[in-house]
Amino acid sequence: MTEYTEAEVLLQVQDVSKEYNGHLVLKKVCATIKDIKVVGEVRGQVVGFIGPSGIGKSTLFRIMAGLEEPTSGRVVLDAQDRPVRAGEVGVVAQAYPLFEHRTVMGNLMRAACKRYSKKEAREKVVAYLAEFDLSAEVHHYPTQLSGGQRQRVAILQQVLCGSQTLLMDEPFSGLDPIAKKKTEMLIQKIANLDDKNTIVVVTHDIAAAAAVADHLWAMGRDHDAEGKVIPGAYIVETYNLIDRGLAWHENIESSPAFTEFVQEIDEKFAQL
Amino acid sequence: MQLSTIFSPNRVLDRRSERFIVVVWIALVAVIWIFSPFVFLPKPSEVFQALHDLWFYQDLGIELFTSMCLNLEAIAIATLISLALAYLGTIAVFAPLVSFIGKLRFLSLAGLGFAFTMMTSNGHALRVSVLVFMVVVFFVVSMVDVINGIPKEQYDLARTLRMGDWETLYEVVILGQLDQAFIVLRQTAAMSWMFLATAEGMAMSGGGVGMLLNTSNKHFHLAEVMAIQIIILIVGLCQDYMIGVFRNICCPWVNVAGRKG
Repeated sequence: MTEYTEAEVLLQVQDVSKEYNGHLVLKKVCATIKDIKVVGEVRGQVVGFIGPSGIGKSTLFRIMAGLEEPTSGRVVLDAQDRPVRAGEVGVVAQAYPLFEHRTVMGNLMRAACKRYSKKEAREKVVAYLAEFDLSAEVHHYPTQLSGGQRQRVAILQQVLCGSQTLLMDEPFSGLDPIAKKKTEMLIQKIANLDDKNTIVVVTHDIAAAAAVADHLWAMGRDHDAEGKVIPGAYIVETYNLIDRGLAWHENIESSPAFTEFVQEIDEKFAQL
Repeated sequence: MQLSTIFSPNRVLDRRSERFIVVVWIALVAVIWIFSPFVFLPKPSEVFQALHDLWFYQDLGIELFTSMCLNLEAIAIATLISLALAYLGTIAVFAPLVSFIGKLRFLSLAGLGFAFTMMTSNGHALRVSVLVFMVVVFFVVSMVDVINGIPKEQYDLARTLRMGDWETLYEVVILGQLDQAFIVLRQTAAMSWMFLATAEGMAMSGGGVGMLLNTSNKHFHLAEVMAIQIIILIVGLCQDYMIGVFRNICCPWVNVAGRKG
């Protein structure tokens, strides 16, 4: 198992509740992401956020992104004493929205200019395009890109904008195994660009989440004595995959311990 | 091409087949027109004779030019006003005003003629303002619909890229919907030709094809009426094509090849 330490808090969900028209969706959700330090390595954080469809993952996702106000509680970044604001956290939505009227270069420049001077921004964009195998698409419009290319552009847009915390909504949805593996590697690569980079992957694909993450948050709801669901989801369990020896290994999916772990979560998943 | 294909819904045909269908329809319309038993419908020869007479003896060319200039002026002014109003409609305080302006499309020009006559200083201004009014009330409604149809993800994207409200308006609404604005312009510019006869009829001294149309109608010169309508149709189609060309130039992203897979 790799030696690591946990340093300062990077993101904290503090008692977040959300109601829509009197219907409780989230109930006092609490979660923390800390900066993970590994000596001699640049190691970002990847959190897999799993839960059944329709449970409230996307609602918490939007609140964490500052795109929606919680009914109570707050999400704070870097121990700041104020709620997160839109733009402080990068968001890669499921359909990878881009500005359809701009080329790949235009889309990335629009983001990079928020952080760098025009000259610097162009240099950064060109470097990232080369690194992420997108140089040939520089003058293409989003409608001309494949799903994988679109995903990379959407991620790079947020990274270039300067967001060190990135929320990704269902990045494995509808992908074949090879594309899924590529996405896992891409997430790792983005996370490990900087020590403080933090990626929260919202998904219901347990195996993919476990393969890419160092921590897993499982969202669920309580049930009454008759087995009926009590409204209000929260993070019922947090798994530290580093301590279990399942994080940061290539081809972890082929290890028996990983299969066993996924099976364990799978069984719990049915009760969430 | 199988015959059943052209009678089945949602079939994509090749260019050659599409052209063939168009030619068949034109031939069919021509046959119906030539052999129509309806006595009031002028025959093609009468229409072409009327067209000849209108062109050489009634200055149809000059009147057409007058109408085109009037129409272009009205469309240009109406487009600027409509776009400004539609974009203003995104600001809460102006939204009810913009919505109300759109509702004015139900008003009849017959009831507005006097008001416009009193408000304007000459015949040309009267024609322009009537046309601008009629185009604006329709343009605004369509453009507001376009803006309301922008997916929430686009606004979210702008917000996550740290764009302020005005920057988001520019990026998502103005630039992002420019291609749609051209489509709305295309529709309302065509409508403008429909309102032209009414507008020109309000100040006949200014000339124009609308004036010619009113005069021919008044004297039951149906061949002339049809000849003028055909000319308006041709000019309208050219205008439509030109707006399409401008759209392709200003919005190159609408004509790029599809996704790779």
